[in-house]
Amino acid sequence: MSSGEIGPDRRDRRDDRGDRIAGAVIGLAIGDAAGWPSARHRSGVLAPWSRRLHRELDGFAEEHRVTTLPVPFTLNQPVRPLALGPSDDAEWLAWTASTLHEDRAEAFGRLAGRDDLRARISVRTALDNLAGGRPPPASGHDNPHFFDDAAAVRAVAFGAAGLDPTRDAQVTNAGDGVLGARAMAAAVAALVGGAPMTAAVAAALAELPDDTAIGHAARAALAAARRAGDAFAAVPALDAVLFDHVYSYGVAAAQTVPAALALAEVSGGALPAAVSAAACLSPAADSAPALTGALTGAFSGHAALPRGWSAAARTLLGCCLPELAGVDLLDIAKGLA
Amino acid sequence: MSEEYAERARGCLLGLAVGDALGRPAENLPPEEIARRWGRLTEIEPGRGGTDDTEYAIFAASLLVRYGRALTGDDVARAWREEIVGKIEGPMRGAGFSELGTVQALRRGLAPPMTGRWHPHGWSDGLAMRAAPYGIFAAGEPEEAARLVAVDGAVSHSGEGIWGGRAVAAAVAVAMTGAEPSTVVAAALAAVPEDSWTARNLRAAVAVVAAHGADVAALNPRRPAVIGDPHEALSRELHEAVVARHYPWTDLAPEAVALAFAAYLTGGGDVEESVVVAANLGRDADTTAAIAGALAGAGRGDDGVPDRWAAEIGPVAGACLPGVAGRHVLDVADELVERALEPVEGT
Repeated sequence: MSSGEIGPDRRDRRDDRGDRIAGAVIGLAIGDAAGWPSARHRSGVLAPWSRRLHRELDGFAEEHRVTTLPVPFTLNQPVRPLALGPSDDAEWLAWTASTLHEDRAEAFGRLAGRDDLRARISVRTALDNLAGGRPPPASGHDNPHFFDDAAAVRAVAFGAAGLDPTRDAQVTNAGDGVLGARAMAAAVAALVGGAPMTAAVAAALAELPDDTAIGHAARAALAAARRAGDAFAAVPALDAVLFDHVYSYGVAAAQTVPAALALAEVSGGALPAAVSAAACLSPAADSAPALTGALTGAFSGHAALPRGWSAAARTLLGCCLPELAGVDLLDIAKGLA
Repeated sequence: MSEEYAERARGCLLGLAVGDALGRPAENLPPEEIARRWGRLTEIEPGRGGTDDTEYAIFAASLLVRYGRALTGDDVARAWREEIVGKIEGPMRGAGFSELGTVQALRRGLAPPMTGRWHPHGWSDGLAMRAAPYGIFAAGEPEEAARLVAVDGAVSHSGEGIWGGRAVAAAVAVAMTGAEPSTVVAAALAAVPEDSWTARNLRAAVAVVAAHGADVAALNPRRPAVIGDPHEALSRELHEAVVARHYPWTDLAPEAVALAFAAYLTGGGDVEESVVVAANLGRDADTTAAIAGALAGAGRGDDGVPDRWAAEIGPVAGACLPGVAGRHVLDVADELVERALEPVEGT
């Protein structure tokens, strides 16, 4: 990375809360864009037949034993959606920021019944629960993915605004899913206030009891990353410590939040190193890079982030919440400041 | 008294085994697909036997025979390490997410209850499927049955998965007294927190059955399903009430337990009707039919299990748990009863 792409040192900008809030938001979007699943999410705006062909090509590759795997593609359609850019996590963060001061069950209730959304299993189930007469906290508790990190992503908005994410988290999550949100909000709140990364990670850990999976995993991940010494070196250690490779979906808060905390700390808050490493954790690449980007972006501030990445990540596509197409995340960040 | 106890114990585990075997081919199928393939699924596939439900129930029973009421989490973890983790060669056949997740947690050196929390499948129905022996052992003592199954469950489950196990163990303990199905279901509800997913789903399932069950119970279970018939309406409404439709797997305890109890209530406690209704509801059909069969079999005894089904149940193959290969559920039931009737040490 040339020095021309990196902004001023954090020590010169400790008072710039607004820049750090923008760093949290754009940092999350950069991480969201950097993970390989982003292009798959973004292909959601293309015609459904292109995704059907993708599934058929997967079958073809299996049948013919070819190692050349299909990637999201366009045929007779716009190619822009498949360019590097943010997807689900950035869009749900923006939606959260724009509804931040509303009653959470009411805000989510407006989404129930819509058939044009894409969301995590926890959120889809919570919307069904709300429509079916199970209000929070049952909506997040009676939920097969109560443990996922949907609320941890949204908690970046609450942390940046200095608000408690618990009520929001309980709409879609419970247990480790809510604890993950509280940890992310605590860390982001500390960082936008100018705290050092070690203090922010400590604030997050204080939300994660030892006897929970997320608390146990967070401490194990931090110890593994510290032993490894730097973010990229920590990748194999985190893979070994965090993942059992048993389950079919890699968005468990007990895995992604600890990975983000560990990489944010061991990188010294450097987003380029931390997000690159998080993106290498392929089972968790849907959201670990985004959470890592939020922490490190909040630490360094937006002005310090690589310009090209910020430009690629700041505009939403509307692949999960169509009404957000074209929204500039810097405007969203201003609303949080 | 002890002969009746033995008959109910055999009925319970035989009911579990026939449910497992009948539901086996219907696992993960939607009810419409089951109806398309079989009309109504009423016959066990010859020569196939059961699956993980029967083998893990036998494994749980072996813990009770060894440790009785003194069973601890360390005992359970040691048994898993020696008899499950230590005997896996290559693939862990027939295991659900919670079992393999538990094995991985044990391989990391974790101990209960963290082994049941480390993987995200604490809510799986893997404890409910192996809970019946606790109800046999602590017949007439639903609180003790629920306590013991929770000791076992801490190795592999947390939260709703524990509640599912407690619901089934407590209900079997009461069914073993010959209680009416409504009393048995009340025991299940009493064994779980009122503010839980399991309790909410059980209450929702009971409400659906209350609205439709009488119509369905009036039918012969072997009658083919037709569009618009009461089975179809019951099935649809149960799915709407308790199935998480945006989740692609079918192993959620709050869902499986609710479907199993709904089938048992619909069947009025009759083994054949309860098991057939459960299997034809689909989802985790081997497990739901096994639970319904265990509840009904505990109430009706081994004479209540259709002969044509019982004839299909032999010693288990050990396909999922090599350590239980060759065990027959009827022998296991007798051992549980014998152990339960032993004088308690020190009295």
